[in-house]
Amino acid sequence: MTTTNTIGTMLQQPADDAQPLPRGTLLAAVLAVAGFQLRRLFTLPRLAIAALGVLFPAAVLLAVRKTLSGSMDGTVVVILYALIPEALCMLGLLVTMCPVVADELERGTWAHIAVRPHGRRALLLGTFLAAVAWTAAVAILALCLALAVSGMAHPWKRFPLFAALVGLSCLGRAALFALPAVIVPKRALVASVGVAIVVEYLAGFLPAVVNQLTVSLRLRSLLVQGMGWGRQMPAGMQLLIDTNPVWIQCGAVVLLAGVLLVASVLILDRRQFPPSEEG
Amino acid sequence: MIEVLDLVKHYTAADGQIVRAVDGVSFAVGPGEMVGLLGANGAGKTTTLRVLATLLRPTSGTARVAGCDVVLDPVGARCQLGYVSATTGVPDRLTPREILQSFGRLHGVAAETLDDRVEQLLGVLDLVSCADRPAGRLSSGQRQRVSVGRALVHNPPALVLDEPTSVLDVFGSRDLLAFLANLRSEGRAILLSTHRLHEIENRCDRFVIIHGGRVAAQGTRAQVAGPGGSLEQGFFAAVEGTRA
Repeated sequence: MTTTNTIGTMLQQPADDAQPLPRGTLLAAVLAVAGFQLRRLFTLPRLAIAALGVLFPAAVLLAVRKTLSGSMDGTVVVILYALIPEALCMLGLLVTMCPVVADELERGTWAHIAVRPHGRRALLLGTFLAAVAWTAAVAILALCLALAVSGMAHPWKRFPLFAALVGLSCLGRAALFALPAVIVPKRALVASVGVAIVVEYLAGFLPAVVNQLTVSLRLRSLLVQGMGWGRQMPAGMQLLIDTNPVWIQCGAVVLLAGVLLVASVLILDRRQFPPSEEG
Repeated sequence: MIEVLDLVKHYTAADGQIVRAVDGVSFAVGPGEMVGLLGANGAGKTTTLRVLATLLRPTSGTARVAGCDVVLDPVGARCQLGYVSATTGVPDRLTPREILQSFGRLHGVAAETLDDRVEQLLGVLDLVSCADRPAGRLSSGQRQRVSVGRALVHNPPALVLDEPTSVLDVFGSRDLLAFLANLRSEGRAILLSTHRLHEIENRCDRFVIIHGGRVAAQGTRAQVAGPGGSLEQGFFAAVEGTRA
């Protein structure tokens, strides 16, 4: 380590007339964290898992095609919906969003991030961006491959609808998983799976007001509207979808994500971790 | 530059008991001053440093960094502070250059000055030869130097270091403490905690000894150690006196 006086000329103590120290902006900090997290995701094990995620829906569709005969577009669409915006996005976000705080605590980097001017908020929002970008990219690749092998009459006509479902699923679920990640960081994965089951798949299928607060209702409703299935559905099934226009469905997901993210940020701002909780 | 006044930090333990980690600590560190924070394990050193670093909120009392209250203006306090922890917390997959750049961007260092700052830090911390090697393949000393560089990337006037030499060998400790002495000579306020009393005995301007969350003694080496005594003797006397 250099211990000469050159340090003094290099790292000069800010004097009264010196420029103020950088405070940075939240946006710049968020982008810095997002880049940092994406670099962490570009590792061989993570890429291998992502490749499995890309291949899995196509493999399932190929297997299903062998067992079905005649026109099977409707079945393929339902399988695609269950596998990509629901299962794949959910799994991808569980892996990328849930450990947002726990990973930093275990690696001992939490303190070094939280001590930056916008560190806590940037960590959460930057990881959110990275998780959404990474998961959506994997899901879109999986969608392209699955559509290519789907055997549907005009498979690429379905691309815009499913791409939108993927985007909304990632947005809403990443924000949903942010909440347990900041409340119970060390048990975030278990808590998020619980939230996914209880909120998204139990409350989401209840024909009651509570399902209006779920992402799954909005995605199902968009799928039904996008496929034009509304009139063909039995009355009982109509209770499981929302008939409001597309913009309301999309707006509801964005609003829900915004509320969840703000709540998560406010909670994380106040979290204190004793030294014993850090790795 | 660093002021702590009647600082109290209580935790509620898992069994519901109130743990008085810090119980009315007061001291100050001026510009161009290096102060050693000494104490046994569990004395409250790390909690005090973490309150200063805005990682923990005080139960009561005041902590300020360059005039910024850590509760009322935490962002202001963070801008003025560099923090080094006992665990280096350096991401294994990133290189020293990437780590310094990432944390510089996170801190809001302007893009046009960041590259120069990073190169200067790599040079002054003797990390040029391993600047592009993943941190997971660096020695403990190199990792700690990356951690110090990360704390200095925004050129803060105050530095808080929590047992920075605990992972270093004697050479690494000597070099780091000499480096800190240079930072002090630039006018920075430096507060560091350590268990290695002999390392800082002749380096620090003053010492604060805390025991059981309270200040047991503070002052210059001569004031703490007494006439002809060593810092270690002064430390034991202060702590044993508190116990008695």
